[in-house]
Amino acid sequence: MNMSKKLLSVTVVICLALFVFACGEGEKIAELEKKIEQLSAEKADLEKTAAEAVDKPTAAQTYKIGFSGALTGTTSDVGVPYSKAIEDYCRYVNDEKMLGDDKLECMIRDDGYETEKTKRNFEDYMDEGIVFYLNYSTGSSMAMGKDFDEEKIPTITASYHAGNLDVSNYAFLPIVSYTSQALALADYLVANHKGDTPKVAMFIHPSAFGRAPVEDLKKAIAGGLKMDLVEVVEHGKDLDNTAMLQRWMNKKVQYVICQTVQPPVATMLKSAQGLGVIAGSYGEEGKLTFLGLHYAGGPDLVALAGSAVEGFFWTTSYRLMTEKGPGGDAQLALAKRYGRDDATANSQNYTNGVQVIQIAVETIIRAKAKGKKITRQALYEEMLAMNGYNAYNSLTTVGPVSYSKTDRQGVDMLQLYRAQGDVFRPVGAPFAFTPAK
Amino acid sequence: MSQNRWLATGNFFTSYKQEQRIFLTHLDRLVFICFLVVLFVWPLFLEVGNKYMLVIDNILIAIVAILGLNLLTGFAGLISIGHAAFVGVGAYTVASFARVLGDSHVLITHAWPLMILMAGGVGAVVGAIVGLPAMRLKHLYLVIATLSFQMIFQWTINFMSFFNQGQTISIGRVFWFTGKVVRNQHYFFWYYVILVILIILGLAVRNLLRTRYGRCLVAVRDNDRAADAMGMHPGLTKVYAFAMSGFFAGVAGALHAYLFRGAGFESFTLHQSISYLAMAIVGGLGTLVGSFFGPMAIIMLDLQVENLSEFFKHQFSAALDLATALRPLTFGLVIVLFLMFEPRGIANWWRILRTYLKLWPFRY
Repeated sequence: MNMSKKLLSVTVVICLALFVFACGEGEKIAELEKKIEQLSAEKADLEKTAAEAVDKPTAAQTYKIGFSGALTGTTSDVGVPYSKAIEDYCRYVNDEKMLGDDKLECMIRDDGYETEKTKRNFEDYMDEGIVFYLNYSTGSSMAMGKDFDEEKIPTITASYHAGNLDVSNYAFLPIVSYTSQALALADYLVANHKGDTPKVAMFIHPSAFGRAPVEDLKKAIAGGLKMDLVEVVEHGKDLDNTAMLQRWMNKKVQYVICQTVQPPVATMLKSAQGLGVIAGSYGEEGKLTFLGLHYAGGPDLVALAGSAVEGFFWTTSYRLMTEKGPGGDAQLALAKRYGRDDATANSQNYTNGVQVIQIAVETIIRAKAKGKKITRQALYEEMLAMNGYNAYNSLTTVGPVSYSKTDRQGVDMLQLYRAQGDVFRPVGAPFAFTPAK
Repeated sequence: MSQNRWLATGNFFTSYKQEQRIFLTHLDRLVFICFLVVLFVWPLFLEVGNKYMLVIDNILIAIVAILGLNLLTGFAGLISIGHAAFVGVGAYTVASFARVLGDSHVLITHAWPLMILMAGGVGAVVGAIVGLPAMRLKHLYLVIATLSFQMIFQWTINFMSFFNQGQTISIGRVFWFTGKVVRNQHYFFWYYVILVILIILGLAVRNLLRTRYGRCLVAVRDNDRAADAMGMHPGLTKVYAFAMSGFFAGVAGALHAYLFRGAGFESFTLHQSISYLAMAIVGGLGTLVGSFFGPMAIIMLDLQVENLSEFFKHQFSAALDLATALRPLTFGLVIVLFLMFEPRGIANWWRILRTYLKLWPFRY
């Protein structure tokens, strides 16, 4: 009995407690429901804000671009103005707020034209988190192609070696390749030559850069191009080329195609001037007509060779500072704004540098305009989409910059120039060169 | 011999064997083991970027090469200015296989220890062949002979289409037990590989110097006629020294090719040979520790001068090509200063420091 009473009283107490608790819980549940409603509203607000933040980033970003080039040593005469252009345009982009509140950071390092150092610089840049890479030498571009692919980083090289495009899907040339330039010159040479099959010599840099177009030119000759390639000379550090020029004269060479940088060409031209073998007019009998690819000529050659440059034929895709036009004016203004001397401001290597950094910046601008997050992949996609109506006119080149999955050579147009009175003047109109298959 | 094997303050040897021990005291052994542990463990705790890992790997490879050069120039007294070409032979051995079989052939990617060994073997054979004139030539004449080898090597690589005319011949990524060594593991992986090889080769050199072959090298260096009179064969000893040097260089070359994932001509030029010689001189010719200090000092100096050059380049106009001149100027200056004021190299500073610590706190 006692036991039953105890059980009953315990049961009653528990029931009462449950009742009291349940009443309290009911109030709490109502409170909780209210809170859930509040939190849901807050969550919706937050989601809306987050979505807006994605569309329109409020925090300023810094995008990093790396350039590794020869600021000292071999070919630094090209690398220095090239790097200064990158530096100047980068400052210009930030000063003019071309990326809005976002900033562009251009890291520039010297590699002394050595692949090992270039690789070290590249690794450094990757550690720094760059989104776009600008490379310089042919050797390093070819050696590091797989790295570009593995890192999936869009890369513009200062080397126009067509082989760059074979080793990496992420490598882009700013203008047509050396091969196309050489073949275009050879086509011009043959088309304007009067008389028998012209005898031609090549004067090239002792590196992959210099050798780039040689094999393709030989193939073109084997394929029917009517010219006789008599000799291919890889120059050293000669201060005089008299012996070489005399040899060519003995072999009845009439044309010399140069694929190197300006200083050795200037040395050769001065030797030729000393010998009196520079042709007064195109293809003059018994004399030598000199022609050069992009890095072999231009205003820098005029400064080095002086009057010996007269009559030198040169092809490139870049506009020259000696021509009036919006591109040249803008370049001069840029160089002046950042205190560069006249030699740098007028250098075609400065123009090159401006163009490559312009392309990189343009991809960022386009990716931002589409609301994309700025990543290497996004910029790569923008590079590939830069064609047709989306081609980019940098004003520094004779044609628009266009890239696609099947064409990673930027400007497809070339302009032939001829040195006249210490200035390179255009010969004819820009032309699109498509190498014969 | 000292009763205290931990802290001997002087030389108390009672036999030649005691003097030839690798570690003179237990403390030496303990310090060495601790140092090795630190070398193996630090990458697990310190986060280092790829750039610096690449520099460190490069230093280790240079040490392997300098171990070989020091055997030749330091211990055998045969000056070589073609050492980069020997290193190149090793690199191009691997590259040749890659060229013929493809850069991702199983021999290249899976059997890489074998390839490294093979590169060392080819380096040794080429070293022995190049060393043959050493049987007749001495001093400057031998220097010219090694220089000619350097030139022949450069010409061959630069002009033969098989070697891609000096352009980089690429080498595929290697495999380890855990699978393919991908890009973000690359430099760490090779750090450990090079470190293990370096320890093995370092101990091998240390042991070699305790053997009759090692003593032969030193004897021939000091006076080859006296060595001949003592029953040694100076000519063969010199060829042997070249072969050993070639082996070390070949191994270094193969490691270089794997680290940079390719072999290119410009890493094996005469300039690099002179750099190697400078490393051996600055480190201390004829000393084992000198082979470690030299590459470290020269490569670090090179890095700092590069930074300084860049600074100058940005400060001064392009016409004043001070930056271009700064590097060779500093490099030459360092060698001249070392030759004038410390011909025994950094190894001598190390010896002074060790002696000081051995006697500490007493000055004498």
